[in-house]
Amino acid sequence: MINATKKWIFLKASSIILIPLMLWFIINLVSIYEKDYVDIVSFFSTQPSKFLTSLLMIVAFFYSSLSISEIFEDYIHDEKLKNIANKTMYALSVIIPFLTIIVIFNLNI
Amino acid sequence: MENKKPLSPHIQIYSWNISSLISISHRITGVINILALTLICLWIILLLLGESNYEYIKFFLQSFFGKFLILCLTWSFTFQILSEIRHLFWDFGYGFELITSKISGLFVIFGSFVLTVLIHLIGKQII
Repeated sequence: MINATKKWIFLKASSIILIPLMLWFIINLVSIYEKDYVDIVSFFSTQPSKFLTSLLMIVAFFYSSLSISEIFEDYIHDEKLKNIANKTMYALSVIIPFLTIIVIFNLNI
Repeated sequence: MENKKPLSPHIQIYSWNISSLISISHRITGVINILALTLICLWIILLLLGESNYEYIKFFLQSFFGKFLILCLTWSFTFQILSEIRHLFWDFGYGFELITSKISGLFVIFGSFVLTVLIHLIGKQII
């Protein structure tokens, strides 16, 4: 299987996982964003939101890094710049969800 | 080594129609959504600073700009979700006819606004 096919399969599989997760998260985001600190910490530090938010961050950043690399492929002319942009994005899409998940698993009221 | 591959023509050379509007909006909302998720991650990380420091964030989120930001993000997420569902139908071989493509495009545009309102009504426990 060629790399482009693998990338397409990963992109589609992650989008299928992401659609219900995003819907769940937006509804909850709308219901909690104005609330007090205790309520928000309580939301993120209890199950199932603890697990689902962590999963959302992993899948969303994975999906986004793949789809944004397509945008870089289409619109960045300079090969060197495109390489740097891709590597920076891949690094950030590991670091940001990783840090967030560590925080989620260390939140206590 | 110099890249000899052709690049996609830039958007300004095309005449606008529903398909191209949805296509470029799908890409733009995709970038906005990942920036929004980065902000949400930052919001979660800042919870570590404690309750007293959180008051500044709460003040912003309860302001007009905070509420407007969440409303816009909801639309951006719902647009991406509906547009991605449209793409998934295409991937399974459905919806390529011109009329179906136009109808599904309109469904994505209007559906994203309807879904945004619905999510806010459900989130605020109005319905």
